[in-house]
Amino acid sequence: MSTAAAILDLARAWLWIGAAVAALFLSIGIGRIDPDARGAFVFRVLLVPGLLLIWPLVLWRWWRLEKGDRWLPRYRPPSAHASAAAAMSALIMAALVLSYGARQDWPDNIAPRRITEAGS
Amino acid sequence: MSVRYIPVQWNRFKWGYDAALLASVGVFLWAFLRVTPEDLGHERDVSGAIRNARAFGACAFVMLTGILCIGPLARLDTRFLPLLYNRRHFGVVTAAVALTHFSFVLDWYFAFSPAGKYEALLFANTSFTNGVAGFPFEAFGIFALLSLLILAATSHDFWMKFLTPPVWKGLHYLIYPAYAAVVAHVAWGALLDQENTTFAWVVHVGALLVVGLHLGAALSGRDAAKPRTAGWVDAGDPATIPEGRARIVTLASGDRVAVFRHEGALSAISNACAHQNGPLGEGRIIDCLVTCPWHGFQYDVRTGRSPAPFTEKVPTYALRLEGGRLLVSPDADPPGTPQRPVPVHRGRTT
Repeated sequence: MSTAAAILDLARAWLWIGAAVAALFLSIGIGRIDPDARGAFVFRVLLVPGLLLIWPLVLWRWWRLEKGDRWLPRYRPPSAHASAAAAMSALIMAALVLSYGARQDWPDNIAPRRITEAGS
Repeated sequence: MSVRYIPVQWNRFKWGYDAALLASVGVFLWAFLRVTPEDLGHERDVSGAIRNARAFGACAFVMLTGILCIGPLARLDTRFLPLLYNRRHFGVVTAAVALTHFSFVLDWYFAFSPAGKYEALLFANTSFTNGVAGFPFEAFGIFALLSLLILAATSHDFWMKFLTPPVWKGLHYLIYPAYAAVVAHVAWGALLDQENTTFAWVVHVGALLVVGLHLGAALSGRDAAKPRTAGWVDAGDPATIPEGRARIVTLASGDRVAVFRHEGALSAISNACAHQNGPLGEGRIIDCLVTCPWHGFQYDVRTGRSPAPFTEKVPTYALRLEGGRLLVSPDADPPGTPQRPVPVHRGRTT
């Protein structure tokens, strides 16, 4: 089996497990752990894509809340925006600068470079 | 504000916002495909699928650039706050446009492999170690698309409460590497062999605008330096706080407090809204209630509680006047704890 096929099989398995978690969580779990969700059913459809994608996080939080964890306060936000933005800015500049070096038509008199050997 | 989850909390502003957003996307795509083909470098005979892929890809880049600009713009100038109000819908539409770009690319460039298009996408180019030219820039696009889908899929209010703010916010920091990946995806892909400079200009101006605005907003936020000691924090002259508005004070712990003046008396609550952590201190008092500038959640400034039947609560802080200066307690009282307002002109007291 090729690496690509293995990655795709892994992705399919991930989504199937996510579907099973979604079915269980939306039918049984959500009403048990969140009072605001009791009697509210239409919005649950919107949660399905998230459940498919991040089901391990969902299982972890579901387990913690079933164990009696209190809801964390929602008024104490993490504040790493400045660091995250600085890292993003550095990555953007690196991506742009590296791309200049790889352009085949800039500057005008640069000689074209063969990327792969002929016949490969 | 809602006591029970509903799919989308619509109001007139959101209808207008979304209508303008969808109309803008439609105009962008129409202009890209019909009005300026020669300016955008697809004057040569290319298939409809390639034109569509380019149109949706360019649209997703411009939209993502816009989303990344809204946050710092709103921090630098409050007149941009209305753009922030419905940014989640903006993000969901952007993810949909990016997914459409992906579908067009997949169904054209990778559709004719005997192995299947998804497998072809993964093995068609694996020269990860041969430098920028020829690098499989698709990998950046896949990472960015997955990130956008996760952000869009977890944008409902339920997710922030369920995952907790640290986890939810951490997850949504994905927007930063996702945007950097989009820039790399475009710069190492479409821009490398494109002779037309229009889109190159759009990409460079957009990316540098995002970098400049974020750095500018980060530098402007340095004014709110933390005090060095953990005692009561000096919030300045109370008389200079305008009626119905707040002054934001940073404690030694890093928490921010919004000190509001309402009917000539001062009260302090957490600066972070319980809904999406919007900056309450940048809002104002409407109908006797502090109103969050992001989504309109409201709190009684004396108790930190939303009016019934809503149940949101934020911490409150004790205040005192000393020598004509306003001092804020370094310790938050539990969310919803009533505090006695301090009259502005009460004079020297503790």
